[in-house]
Amino acid sequence: MTQIAADLREMVSEQVQYRELLYQMTRRDLLLRYKQTVMGFGWAVFMPLVNTIVFSVIFMRVAPLDVGMPYPLFAFCGLLAWNFSASSFRFSLNSLSSNTNLVTKVYFPREIFPVSAVLVSLVDFAVGGLVLFGMMAYYRITPTWALLALPLVVLVHAMFTTGVCLILAMANLFYRDVKYLFEVLITVWMFATAVLYPVSSLSTRYRVVLELNPLTPLIDAYRSVLLRGVLPDPAPFLLASALSLVLLALAWLLFHRTEFQFAENV
Amino acid sequence: MSEVMIEFDGVWKKFRRGERHDSLRDLVPSIAKRLFRRGTPRDLEKEEFWALKDVSFEVKRGEALGIIGPNGAGKSTTLKLLNRILRPTKGSCWLRGRVGALIEVAAGFHPDLTGRENVFLQGAIMGMKRAEIATKLDEIIEFSGVAEFVDTQVKRYSSGMNARLGFAIAAHLDPDVLIIDEVLSVGDMTFQQKCVNRMLDFKGSGVAIVFVSHNLNAISKLCDRAVLLNHEVIAAGDTQDVLNSYVRLFSSSDVRSTDTVSVERVSLQCESGTSTKTVSPGDRLCLSVTYRAHEPLDDFHLGFLVHRSSDGLLVYDESFSQKRLGLGPLKAADRVTVDYPFSANLTRGQYDIELHVYHIPSQTFPIRIRPAAIFQVSENHIYDGIAFLEVRPRVASASMTRDSETRGPVIAS
Repeated sequence: MTQIAADLREMVSEQVQYRELLYQMTRRDLLLRYKQTVMGFGWAVFMPLVNTIVFSVIFMRVAPLDVGMPYPLFAFCGLLAWNFSASSFRFSLNSLSSNTNLVTKVYFPREIFPVSAVLVSLVDFAVGGLVLFGMMAYYRITPTWALLALPLVVLVHAMFTTGVCLILAMANLFYRDVKYLFEVLITVWMFATAVLYPVSSLSTRYRVVLELNPLTPLIDAYRSVLLRGVLPDPAPFLLASALSLVLLALAWLLFHRTEFQFAENV
Repeated sequence: MSEVMIEFDGVWKKFRRGERHDSLRDLVPSIAKRLFRRGTPRDLEKEEFWALKDVSFEVKRGEALGIIGPNGAGKSTTLKLLNRILRPTKGSCWLRGRVGALIEVAAGFHPDLTGRENVFLQGAIMGMKRAEIATKLDEIIEFSGVAEFVDTQVKRYSSGMNARLGFAIAAHLDPDVLIIDEVLSVGDMTFQQKCVNRMLDFKGSGVAIVFVSHNLNAISKLCDRAVLLNHEVIAAGDTQDVLNSYVRLFSSSDVRSTDTVSVERVSLQCESGTSTKTVSPGDRLCLSVTYRAHEPLDDFHLGFLVHRSSDGLLVYDESFSQKRLGLGPLKAADRVTVDYPFSANLTRGQYDIELHVYHIPSQTFPIRIRPAAIFQVSENHIYDGIAFLEVRPRVASASMTRDSETRGPVIAS
């Protein structure tokens, strides 16, 4: 126990010591994207927007689905939140293995790589959020006091995402198969998360699978606080929060303890 | 001033040889092996080897330690352990205070960012704060000498510019402990001189330094103590002594007898006849060597070479043909003694003499002895350099105003 406490203390103090680097790495990635692409941040909005249009056609014209709100809003909100996780996963997966030069030559807390991947995606998420607010205005949805819970939802979502990112980055460093496995997994995971359809549209048997997945209540929480104007359903949300916290703590601890083997295994 | 800043205590480090498999396929067997493994981490498994064996040293505040050794002797591993990139298999190593590492000074550069943007990025990687970098930015750019291109993307830089900018950032760190790996070899001569001066400044201000280099001259200029490493500590202590033993161990050869010819006796004497090994610049010395042929020998050269022991620098290399020596073909059992008188026109330091016999028809060296003899040149006037040029300055003429208010130099008459 004392060992874990010492590790935790070290982990936090290192993050404080190297906070500048986290900022610089995140800034680097954002700057690069802005420099290297014509649309810059536009790309952050473009993908979920195209997906929203496609799925809106499917679920409004081909196989109408009742989601209790305008479908484009439902889908865009879900896709935006899902994209935050998915793009964090994708970036952090290669973050260690593609920075071999830094990993084997210079010392700093390695968490910086996956965590800055999460932060970059968070900026994209925020940019996409502006578009969502625009859509809300178009559909005449006025936010209620429930909007105040949004930061909490984002926090829990970011914690869960970071936990998974740490594991992915580490796993891909040791075993390069993880990259390929991930591509399969992410596709399945998206459909096993209530991104494009409500949980209520499924029979109870399948619902269990969806509800065990912490991203489902999290994405639903976004819809609650933003679109429905109510607080998230407490039980699933609290469960997801607890799970996220435990996952992050365990993943970080594992990452920290394995860190010194990275240089030898890259 | 005697505070220990770096301690390396009985460090062992194990590595694997050969290809490491890193697909999931290998996960199961490796887990199984780990579960059923017996024995301590000191045991070597197949394909494993010790890169470092029981290495210990410490560095105090304001002290510089040089680490030398042949390629693959574990020098870089030592630095990586110091830099916390690797962890020892056994033993402990710790540092006190803020660590600056001059290893791969441009590792964090991103090719698509400008020089200025990269300064901030690399600075952060080295642990500097943004405000700190901002205040030192002009100084860093000035030091690097790439001011004109600071807003150009780094991918357009030459490799020298890249390294100079990287070093400039590192040189503006404010560390307690500095780890340097062969970075002084970047840039042109002026820049290198700037780097060495910077290191000396660091040392003077109380930074503890560990310096790894193959440039023995740089080591002897910067370091007070040195460690000779070849997986284990072979020699440690005063820099000069360690450098001498390095040169002796890794460049010595002792082939003094073959089927064709052998060297029977070597003696180095002063012209005065004493066999003292310490001389003053310009003193006359004489090396006398007795060669003995075992079979008829013709068409050979005798080589006489002098090296500076501290860094192996070749000071002199001349071959004398049989004809030049006035010797005819040697018959079996012939014995020849050759005297090589020479002037020690050298500056202070230790020098060693190497002897060759080169056989032209077979293009071989039947004899190669280094060191055949060692001598010291002792003096304390010359600041630096290698050759003793017998400079004896005198004032040829001087025209000075003797003023009661200005105190000019007074020439003793």
